[in-house]
Amino acid sequence: MNADSYPIVDPRHANRGAGAPPEIGKLGMWVFLGTEVLFFGGLMLSYLYGRTHWPGGFAAAGRHTHVWIGTINTAVLLTSSALIALAGATSECMPMRRWTPRLLWLTALFGLGFLVLKGIEYDKEVHEQLFPQAGFALSETGAELFFWLYWLMTAIHALHLAIGVGAVSLFAWATGRQRRWADSHRIEVLALYWHFVDVVWIFLYPLLYLIDRHS
Amino acid sequence: MNEADFRRRRRRIAIAWIALLALMLTSLGSAYLSLGIGNVIAGLVIATIKSSIVVIVFMGLGRSSAMVRIAAAAALSMWFVLAGLSGVDYATRPHEPARYQSPRQLQPLTGKENEP
Amino acid sequence: MNYLEDGLTLRSWFTTTDHKRIAILYAAGITFFFFIGGFAAMLIRLQLLTPGGAIVSHETYNKLFTVHGVIMVWLFLIPSIPAVLGNFLIPLMIGAHDVAFPRLNLLSWYIYVTGGAIVLLALLLGGVDTGWTFYTPFSTMFSNTWVAITLAGVFVTGFSSILTGLNFIVTVHTLRTPGLGWFKLPLFVWALYATSVILVLATPVLAITIVLVIAERLFQIGVFDPAHGGDPLLFQHLFWFYSHPAVYIMVLPAMGVASEIIPCFARQRVFGYRLMAYAILAIASVGFLVWGHHMFVAGQSLAASMVFSALSFLVAVPSAIKVFNWTATLYKSSIRFDAPMLYALGFVGLFTIGGLTGLFLASLPLDVDLTDTYFVVAHFHYIMVGGSVMAYFGGLHFWWPKATGRMYPEVWGRLAAAFIFFGFNLTFFPQFILGMLGMPRRYATYPDRFQVLHVMSSAGAVALAVGYLLPFAYFAWSLRSGRAAGRNPFGATGLEWQTDSPPPTHNFDRPPPAPAGVYEYDPNAPQPAA
Repeated sequence: MNADSYPIVDPRHANRGAGAPPEIGKLGMWVFLGTEVLFFGGLMLSYLYGRTHWPGGFAAAGRHTHVWIGTINTAVLLTSSALIALAGATSECMPMRRWTPRLLWLTALFGLGFLVLKGIEYDKEVHEQLFPQAGFALSETGAELFFWLYWLMTAIHALHLAIGVGAVSLFAWATGRQRRWADSHRIEVLALYWHFVDVVWIFLYPLLYLIDRHS
Repeated sequence: MNEADFRRRRRRIAIAWIALLALMLTSLGSAYLSLGIGNVIAGLVIATIKSSIVVIVFMGLGRSSAMVRIAAAAALSMWFVLAGLSGVDYATRPHEPARYQSPRQLQPLTGKENEP
Repeated sequence: MNYLEDGLTLRSWFTTTDHKRIAILYAAGITFFFFIGGFAAMLIRLQLLTPGGAIVSHETYNKLFTVHGVIMVWLFLIPSIPAVLGNFLIPLMIGAHDVAFPRLNLLSWYIYVTGGAIVLLALLLGGVDTGWTFYTPFSTMFSNTWVAITLAGVFVTGFSSILTGLNFIVTVHTLRTPGLGWFKLPLFVWALYATSVILVLATPVLAITIVLVIAERLFQIGVFDPAHGGDPLLFQHLFWFYSHPAVYIMVLPAMGVASEIIPCFARQRVFGYRLMAYAILAIASVGFLVWGHHMFVAGQSLAASMVFSALSFLVAVPSAIKVFNWTATLYKSSIRFDAPMLYALGFVGLFTIGGLTGLFLASLPLDVDLTDTYFVVAHFHYIMVGGSVMAYFGGLHFWWPKATGRMYPEVWGRLAAAFIFFGFNLTFFPQFILGMLGMPRRYATYPDRFQVLHVMSSAGAVALAVGYLLPFAYFAWSLRSGRAAGRNPFGATGLEWQTDSPPPTHNFDRPPPAPAGVYEYDPNAPQPAA
C-alpha cells in the first residue's frame, strides 16, 4: 500500500447521502470546544475577580512569572498550530500526503517541547518559593491567590495539551501506517482541538506573564 | 484539494503564523511600556486578534457551517453572561450593598487592599 | 428480529451501541439511584414525625438530606428523561438509525456508572453533610465529611451529561430524515434539543466549580476564603450559574413529554405549536440569566438582586405560555383519561403551582422571609417531583408499549397515578404552609406547633412511595403477561409509532417519509381501540 491508495474520505460516509457526513465530526468537536470555553471560563472569572479586587497583589505576583519561558512557549504553541494546520492541508491533497505523518510528528514534538519547558518553569518556581504554602515568597494580599490560579490554570491547560500530544502522536503513527480510520476529516477534527488548546494559551499568556512588566 | 489550492492554503497558514508571532512580540513589548489601563487593554485586544486568526484561518470558522458558528457564538456569549451578571454584583457591592454584607467583603474595592 | 432479541448475552448488552439498549441501561441505573435517594427521603420523613427527632442525630440528618439531594438531582433527575426517553426516542422520532455518535453514547453510560459508583463510595465511607449545594466555606473549610470524593463523583457524572447533550445536538441537526424540517419535529425533540444546549453550556461551569472547591479543600487555595483575598459568593455565582439552568434541564424534557401525551389523548393538535417551540427556546435562554435569585440573602448587592429578580419574573412568561397552550389543547377536544394522560395532566397542574410559587420567591421582599424555609422545599418539589417525575412516569407508560411490545395493565396504571398524585400533594402542600409559618429547611428538629403538618407530610410520603412502587410491579408483570401492543396502540402521530413494537435494531427498514404535518389529530375521528 502506498500513500495514494487509502481514501481521503471514510468510505462509510460516502453512502450516507448529501449534506450529512463530514459535518458530524466537526460539529461534535465544536460543541465540545464550546463546553471547554465555559470550563476554562470559570477559571477566567476567578482570575477576573482576583485581578479587579487585588490589583496590587496580582501585579506584585505577576512580576515573578518567567516571561521568557512563557514567551518561548507561546511561540512554540503558535508554531505547532501552524504545523497541524499544514498537516491537515497535506492530508487533503493527494500528492502531499506523504508529509502528513511528518508534520503530525513535528506538531506532537512541539507540544512535548512546551510541556518540557513548562516543567522546567514549574521547577524553578517551586525553588523560588512561588508555590503557595508555608514560606511563600510574596506577602501582598492577592499574590498567593494569583499563584494558585496560575498553577491551576497552567496545569489544567497542560493536561489538555498532554492529551492532545497523545492523540496527535496516535494519528501521526496511523497516517504513517496508512490506517483507513486516520482520514482527513478526523485529522481536521483533531486539529480543531489542538487549535483550541492554543487559543486558551493565547489568553493565558498576557494574563499571567504580562502584568505590570513596566515597573 | 489540488496542488494549486494546497499552495494557496500553505501560504495563508505561513502568513498567519508570521502575524501571530509578530503580534506576540508586540504584546510582549507593549507590556514594558507604562500605559496604565492601556497595558491591560493592549494585552487583551492583541490576544483577541491572535485568537481570531487561529479561529478563522486555522480552524476555518469562516468556511464552516452556520451551525458551527452559532455553537461557537453561543458558548462565548454564555461566558459573557456569566462574567457580566456576576460583574453587576461585584461592581455594585460597595455602592448598593445588601444588609447582609460584611465589611470584609466590601473591603477589596475600598482601597484597603494590603491589610491582612 | 427486534432490538431486544438482537443478542441475548450480557456482553451484547454491555457492549451495545444501540441507542435503545443504552436507554434501558440508563433506566436500570437511574432506577437503582431513585431507590437510594428515595430511601433517604423516607428516613427524613421518619425523622420529622416528631419534633424532637428520635431517629437520627443532627449530623446524620445533614448527611441524609445531602445524599437525597445529590443522588436525586445528579444521578436520577438530570439523566432521567434525556438519557432514558431521549436516547430511546430521538432517533426514532427523526427517522434515523441511531444517534450521531453511538459509541460515545455507550461511553456516556459507563461514565455515568463510574460517577455514581464514586458517589456511592463516598456514601459508604460516611457520606457528606454540606447539602447538595456544597456552599463554601463550610464545604471547603469546616466539614469533616467526604466532600472531595462526592464532588469527584459528581464531576465524572457531569461528563456523562455533557456527552449526552452533545450527541443529541449533533443528531438532531444532521440525521433527520429527508423532508423533516424543524417545524415538523415533535415538541419532545425541541425540548430535548434545548435541554441539550443547556447541558452543554452549563455543566462545564459546574465542573470547574467542583475543581475549585476540591482545590480549596485540599490545598486551601483561598479563592473562596476572604482571609486569603477570596470570596464565598464567587462559589455561589459559579455554582448557581449551572444549577439554575440545571432545573430547566430537569423540567424542559418533562414539558416535552407532556406535549406528546396531551394531544394524543385529547385527539387534538397542540395549540400554538410554533409558540410552544419558541417558548422552549426562551425558557432555555432566559433560564441562564436568573441564577442570582438563589443569592438574595447571601450578600449579593441589592442592585444585582433587583436585576435578577426582574429577569426571574421574565422567565416565568414562556412557561406560562406553555401551560396556557396545553390547556387550550384540551378545549373542544375528545379526552381519554388513560394512565399517561393522568400523569400529563397532573404534571400541568402541579407544575403550575410550583411555577407560581417560584414567582413568590422571585419577589425580593417575600424571599427574605421565605428563603431557606420549607416554602422553597415545597416549591422545588412541586416542579421536580410533581412536574418532572410525573412526566417521566407518564412517558414510561406512554412509550412502554413501543419499547417492550406489551401493554401495561390500564387499571393499575390509573391507580398508581392516583396514588402518586394524592400522595404527592399530601406530602408537599403542607410544606408550603410550614414554610410560611417559619419552619426552616434542613433542620432535624422543630418546635411542637409544626408537628401536625409534618405528620401529614410524612403520611403523604408513604402514599407516594406506594404509588412509585406499583409501576415496578405491573411493568414487570406486563413483560410476561401483558397484551401485545401492536405498532400504535394509542393512535399517536410521530415516526416512532410507524415502526414495529419493539422496533428492529436499525429502527426503520428504509428511511421513513417525512410526515405531512405535525400532531395531525382529529377529535371527531373514531378513537383507536383501547
